[in-house]
Amino acid sequence: MVDSPATIDLRADFAASGLADDLAQLDHDLVGLAPVKRRIREITALLLVDRARATLGLKSQPPTLHMSFTGNPGTGKTTVALRMAGILHKLGYVRRGHLVSVTRDDLVGQYIGHTAPKTKDVLKKAMGGVLFIDEAYYLYRPENERDYGQEAIEILLQVMENQRDDLVVILAGYADRMDTFFSSNPGFRSRIAHHIDFPDYADGELVTIADSILTGLGYRLSAAARTALGDYVARRRGQPHFANARSIRNALDRARLRQAVRLFERDEGAVSAEALSTIEAEDIRASRVFDADKSL
Amino acid sequence: MNAEPKIDAKARYAAGVMEYAKMGYWEPDYVPKDTDVIALFRITPQDGVDEVEAAAAVAGESSTATWTVVWTDRLTACELYRAKAYRVDPVPGTPGQFFAWIAYDLDLFEGGSIANLTASIIGNVFGFKALKALRLEDMRIPVAYLKTFQGPATGIVVERERLDKFGRPLLGATTKPKLGLSGRNYGRVVYEALKGGLDFVKDDENINSQPFMHWRDRFLYVMEAVNKAQAATGEVKGHYLNVTAGTMEEMYERAEFAKELGSCIIMIDLVIGYTAIQSMAKWARRNDMILHLHRAGNSTYSRQKNHGMNFRVICKWMRMAGVDHIHAGTVVGKLEGDPLMIAGFYDTLREGRTVQNLEHGLFFDQDWASLNKVMPVASGGIHAGQMHQLIHYLGEDVVLQFGGGTIGHPQGIQAGATANRVALEAMIQARNEGRDYLAEGPDILAAAARWCGPLRAAIDTWKDVTFDYASTDTADFVPTATPA
Amino acid sequence: MRITQGTFSFLPDLTDDQITAQVQYCLDHGWAVNIEFTDDPHPRNTYWEMWGIPLFDVPDAAGVMLALAECRKAQGGTQYIRLSAFDSSYGWESLRLSFITDRPAEEPGFALERQERAGRQIAYTTRAYSAQKPEGERYRG
Repeated sequence: MVDSPATIDLRADFAASGLADDLAQLDHDLVGLAPVKRRIREITALLLVDRARATLGLKSQPPTLHMSFTGNPGTGKTTVALRMAGILHKLGYVRRGHLVSVTRDDLVGQYIGHTAPKTKDVLKKAMGGVLFIDEAYYLYRPENERDYGQEAIEILLQVMENQRDDLVVILAGYADRMDTFFSSNPGFRSRIAHHIDFPDYADGELVTIADSILTGLGYRLSAAARTALGDYVARRRGQPHFANARSIRNALDRARLRQAVRLFERDEGAVSAEALSTIEAEDIRASRVFDADKSL
Repeated sequence: MNAEPKIDAKARYAAGVMEYAKMGYWEPDYVPKDTDVIALFRITPQDGVDEVEAAAAVAGESSTATWTVVWTDRLTACELYRAKAYRVDPVPGTPGQFFAWIAYDLDLFEGGSIANLTASIIGNVFGFKALKALRLEDMRIPVAYLKTFQGPATGIVVERERLDKFGRPLLGATTKPKLGLSGRNYGRVVYEALKGGLDFVKDDENINSQPFMHWRDRFLYVMEAVNKAQAATGEVKGHYLNVTAGTMEEMYERAEFAKELGSCIIMIDLVIGYTAIQSMAKWARRNDMILHLHRAGNSTYSRQKNHGMNFRVICKWMRMAGVDHIHAGTVVGKLEGDPLMIAGFYDTLREGRTVQNLEHGLFFDQDWASLNKVMPVASGGIHAGQMHQLIHYLGEDVVLQFGGGTIGHPQGIQAGATANRVALEAMIQARNEGRDYLAEGPDILAAAARWCGPLRAAIDTWKDVTFDYASTDTADFVPTATPA
Repeated sequence: MRITQGTFSFLPDLTDDQITAQVQYCLDHGWAVNIEFTDDPHPRNTYWEMWGIPLFDVPDAAGVMLALAECRKAQGGTQYIRLSAFDSSYGWESLRLSFITDRPAEEPGFALERQERAGRQIAYTTRAYSAQKPEGERYRG
């Protein structure tokens, strides 16, 4: 047996873990989301201390690490789950650090005897990593008492309880629906250690996200286009199926399409690199989001 | 493309004696074609003979030249048929010796015939007076030529599938004493070794059909032993029945009998000759038989560095000729074998493509054109206590043959076989678990010996046996230390 | 008797931790692990029954162990179970490792039947004692 050391240098431990890179990457990848980032740092610190306690031979249970990520679509839940898998891997809480992302359709079958093999196949692939179940509440359909989702839930609960060393499960979805889901499935609630709420992005944050998406594609917004995009965000938020960053990405795809048509259809033939890379206000304002204004 | 050599025909073909270099056998600007056969010779010219002229002479004598100019050359596309020496380098650290690169056009050789290839490359030229010594070090065989050869009858992958043995070296032993046992006594050794845990037992190279045991008697008793051991263990077992004989007809007769008795493998000796080997390889392919080759006789020409041929060339020819097993050195045993050279032999036999590696003695990139892989066999003075070193140096696609190390076990042949098999499986298990098995090898063996009495006895008996002599066939190129 | 097919049959039966380590070795090489079972262990019985298809795209041995647990639940005690690892890379395209993880409580072994023929020849047949019963009823009490 190796004797436990008397002290442990947490700062050195943190430096050696390489976690600073993951946290910096998270900051870089995700605009805003300050409360989420704070929660990730807290969880990281907790796990680091937990590990240190184990090293010093202090009493420590293997921690429960299953989590729930609640928030509207496009608020960065999948991206954070990916980073979380990396962080847990570096801390030694999952062996491989890969993320397997699924929805109800990947777990639940269409007929009797189909669900268990499907769920188990997903579990086999996720072992050693993180299983991310998006819109997890669809697993539970109380309106149909023969729903096969219940079978998947039972298998998941069993693995979440008995194989905590092998797998971390993250359940994700809209906050209100997740609340309902947890109240009808107390088994899940009791096995979830960390809840993280993902707030919607502010208008300004979404414009910043747009800038970073466009920079990645080699485009830029003109000053007028940036103003137009601000107006777009404010209007889009009130309309159905608003999905935060995902809506912005879709809007930019359509703006690039309009820009291409605009450049193609104008009279003069020569086009500058500048023009090819610039999204103008008209490319944004042609969106249907502004239709309501026009009819006024 | 190469420029046409500028030769003044009138001067070139005037009757008389002319330097080989001037006859067109030295072309320093020649760029070998993808379809050329390339040979790399080590030449030791007689005192006063220029190395370029010596290289050109080797090129000439191994292709179209004779000692004097002949006008009949002009009836042929002689520029094409001339072998071309195109590079000569001094051997590092060895004054008086040179490496010569010589390219041969594909049309110089008959497809699918090692005999024809070797009649040119190692024909008259080795006795040439202008050279003190000559050694064939390596060859680059073009894909176009390889495709005219069958290659190994079975190959490593299919051999493993037939035997249902994966992920570990195979274990064998040569029956000892190699001469004098009667058929009945001989079969006893085979049965004990196979039942104890070996996969194969082997006839020795000089077990054919002698007064103390005629071949049919041996085959019948050996196959009884093989079948009995198979039923006793539930494993596929084999014995290399040596079918070497005085004539092809006799060899075929013995091979047919081996097949009739249900043997999965037969054996031949290198001394039967290249054509006989190719014939037996074709027979083996037709009859679903694994073909083991014992390299009897090779050291007469492969061991000394200045003359003869390197064993890696034999490896190449034998892969083309179509054998499935070949003895290729042990590194740690009683027979000649430098670790780096042996790595080169093993790669030549087992890889789909080898790249130039001068430290391993491989002078050329060689694409094997999907010819099957040959299983190397490590045999001669090895024992269970070296298991970690054997796996480290030789890998897992190899037959490890512990003859004395099985039959000489103090508790009997079965115990000897069990000791080897347990040592092997324990080492493979440790390797796969990610342990530093080379460093921890003795500990791993000691741990297994705590529950395996035969292994404990084997280690106690042979723990101090090593064969620590300098190798004669070593690399000419040593890695240069890079400045820190 | 103890059937010694497979890579680790001469060692004491592997523990689950030891099996896990071997499986991880295979997965780390990119090989797909396959679970098979049979109650006819003849040395030339190549095609054991497959427990599902090979486990492709499973990065961690715990996933394979999950499947092995299912197979044991259904077949353990009355069947041999083996794991094999398939390497699809060019030039190999076959197994790289194969070992038995589970055996029936008793292994009755094989009879060697001899049929005498001319010229002192004997034709041998290896017959599993277990295979004298119909498939599925072997190794039961």
